[in-house]
Amino acid sequence: MNVDSLYALRDVAGVPSHPILFLVLGVVTFALHMFAVHVMLGGAALTIRGALSQDTYWRQLANAMLSTAKIAVSVAVVIGVAPLLFVQVIYDPFWYTSNVLSAWWVIGFIIILSAAYLLIYVFYYKNEDLTKSKTKCPGSMILSLALFIVVGLIMHTLTNQMLSPDQWMEWYAPQGQIDASGTQLHSINWARFIFMIALAAPVTGAWLYGYRHYISVRHGSDSGYLEFVHNLARKLLARGSLVSLVIGAVWMVTLPENQTEFLTNPMLYITAVALIVLAMVPTLFGNKINNGYTAYWLVAVAFVVIALVAIDREIIRWFALVVESGYNPMDYPINMDWYSTILFFVTFAVVGGMACTYLITVAWQAGQTEGTYTPSVAISRLGNWTIYIILIWIVHYFAVGFWVWAQ
Amino acid sequence: MEMLGLYPVWFEPTLGSGWIIGIIATIHVLFSHTSVGAALVFSYLAVVAYRKNRPELLDYIRRYGLFLLVFSYVLGSITGPGIWFSTTVGSPRGISALIHSFVWKWATEWVFFVIEVIGVYMIVYLVNKVDQKTHLRISIIFGLASYTTMLIIIGILSFMLMPGNENWYTEGGYLNGFYGSNTFAQLAMRTAFMFTMTAVVGGIVASSIKDVAFRKEMVRRLAILGLVATAAGLGLFQWYLTTIPATAELVMENRLPEYFTPALISVMGGIMAYFAATLAAPKLLKPAIAGVMTVVILVFGLWPEEVARESIRKPYVAGGYVYSNQVIGRDVPGLGIHSEIPTIEEHGFTNTLIFLPEELRTVTDSNKEAVGQALALNTCSNCHSLTDTGIRPLANYFGEDSSESDIAAYLRAALSSGTTLYMPQIPLQQDEATALASFVRQLKDQSIAVAADQDNPITVSQSH
Repeated sequence: MNVDSLYALRDVAGVPSHPILFLVLGVVTFALHMFAVHVMLGGAALTIRGALSQDTYWRQLANAMLSTAKIAVSVAVVIGVAPLLFVQVIYDPFWYTSNVLSAWWVIGFIIILSAAYLLIYVFYYKNEDLTKSKTKCPGSMILSLALFIVVGLIMHTLTNQMLSPDQWMEWYAPQGQIDASGTQLHSINWARFIFMIALAAPVTGAWLYGYRHYISVRHGSDSGYLEFVHNLARKLLARGSLVSLVIGAVWMVTLPENQTEFLTNPMLYITAVALIVLAMVPTLFGNKINNGYTAYWLVAVAFVVIALVAIDREIIRWFALVVESGYNPMDYPINMDWYSTILFFVTFAVVGGMACTYLITVAWQAGQTEGTYTPSVAISRLGNWTIYIILIWIVHYFAVGFWVWAQ
Repeated sequence: MEMLGLYPVWFEPTLGSGWIIGIIATIHVLFSHTSVGAALVFSYLAVVAYRKNRPELLDYIRRYGLFLLVFSYVLGSITGPGIWFSTTVGSPRGISALIHSFVWKWATEWVFFVIEVIGVYMIVYLVNKVDQKTHLRISIIFGLASYTTMLIIIGILSFMLMPGNENWYTEGGYLNGFYGSNTFAQLAMRTAFMFTMTAVVGGIVASSIKDVAFRKEMVRRLAILGLVATAAGLGLFQWYLTTIPATAELVMENRLPEYFTPALISVMGGIMAYFAATLAAPKLLKPAIAGVMTVVILVFGLWPEEVARESIRKPYVAGGYVYSNQVIGRDVPGLGIHSEIPTIEEHGFTNTLIFLPEELRTVTDSNKEAVGQALALNTCSNCHSLTDTGIRPLANYFGEDSSESDIAAYLRAALSSGTTLYMPQIPLQQDEATALASFVRQLKDQSIAVAADQDNPITVSQSH
């Protein structure tokens, strides 16, 4: 595929702001999405492990991880919308072609994801409290996790196919015969895919540290259970990081030719060091990790590792598409639209910031409170202001709209 | 030579990509409209519960919310991006046009969507775990955020039919594209009908309430909501019809099936009768009946509406400048967009398509059906199935006796000049028209052969 053809596929409407904004937002939101995916995968795996165990602590953990996985799927889906949006803006020639070439799998993604999501709820409704009754229908949870991995594989393939424009024509019309069925997955990089999945282990380990600390401040928490969670978190974090590191190394030595330039990029080594640091945290801190907010900081460090992987992923894409194929998303024609650009950032920072701060604070504190939780005056005031600010947003929507309509 | 920015084509032979997009979109409309309506109803009920100290209303919110978590926030939140996915593979340049004009608006909607999803978990799981006033605040935030997502998506839906303001073509600008009379008419109409859906789906939960008096009250509340919303929706639909462009009106008059209007009236009448019956005799309502009614609305209400909405946009799919076959069909100087029709007229498709095997760029006797098939995939298959099933089979539009040259003559005349109502201009070169005609004739012959087989099925004795 020559570079002129790639440029011809670009959307004729241009972009409404500088492309760098979409690139940065794409990386940041992808990191958030992947973090939620890893928590979901780890939570689902621990739920299965606990539900199949007779051990009281394992079953107690399975209960908690089932709720975690259930909510993490929602968060992953909701946050996943953003990187899906931004990739279409600046990498449209690559994203759309890759999708069309595997169209049935794209449709399958929706169906399989829905099935996986529903199966979590099937398991949940069959096992509302695993500490009080035997496990029913564990197959639903196992199948759910398996299907989540399948949708991950589909998404990986779509992303991977983007990086090989030279092969698109061969995939679309092998031996000159057009195959418009979209039934094939054409390019899977197994090492890369398994690496992305394996990261669920250290992320879940860090998450368990945070979870352990969160429940430890509750009145009458079981010290035996806390110790059990601590040990499990330590193993997952340390071993998971090292396993991920090894798989990541396999990925690097098997990089396709148009991506090998990444091997000389400092970000690769910064990420490797970050993973090693993450693996060593339990050893370095020992029991001090449960002091103060250290456990929560550990969750933040795990997120930083995922963010570094997201940056690596973007750099690899840059090498494959910009350096090797000659397509530069940064020279996308701009039809600057200040209003919608500013509106997004103001909404994101002010409305999103206030609402999420209020809601998460209430949820957080209610979860640590025995009985009915009543927020402080300051938090309630934040809640009231969140309502006012959304109302102001709605009034602005109609005011601007009627003004434009009247022109 | 300038190339056309057309992507590879996905051809689904049984249903057609158009119907797959339609099915996913219709299901999503049910889930999303129900959830937005329910969010506002929850806010109202939370206010009543707080002011009149009626905790049973909070319990209803919790139960309906739990139901919605699966119904709307599992399936709805997947089918939403699912529309992106399906249009990505079925109409990539159509979705791309919307994304590139409204990316920030979608990103803004995403902010409210995040608030909405956090909110729904909290109103379900924090009933009785936070004080009532806090729960009320969360319910209001949830309701407002949810409705805001609808405010945003409506402008994009309207743009699919036409830009809000004609000036958009010359000046560009998000505001010109987003706001117009159709935006507000559609918003009002959809707001009304979303309460209809909320009332029907809410009946599934309300009819399973154990307390008889409370069940009766909730079923009646929902029935009143449903009656008012449906009546208002019908009135607002008339307003909506006055805001669609003349071309869309023409398409409605000429292309929608004759049964469309009577069917629509029957469905609306049926819904009103359903609500009137549940208002008069609430105890008759059972979860299964409400469930069946939900499916009725999906199949007989939303599906025809979505099909009609898709039909009246023709020959375009987005903004009145992207043809349904993905070709850019008109200039948009405001964004520096040029119609691709002159390029096709000058060089033809076979010289300008990116995803075309080299051996098909020159039409010969030996490859003309293969070239014709490639042209049919690129220029026809978005709206016309290339088999006997699916969306508007192409072979059905040509007579049994039409010869290859008759077909080619039609393709070179009405179709190439763009004078066929509802159809994009498809300026084929002479050799391309011949190739496409050859392929269409082949399709026709296959279709006749299949029909003959069905009329004269081969019996066991014959086969021996």
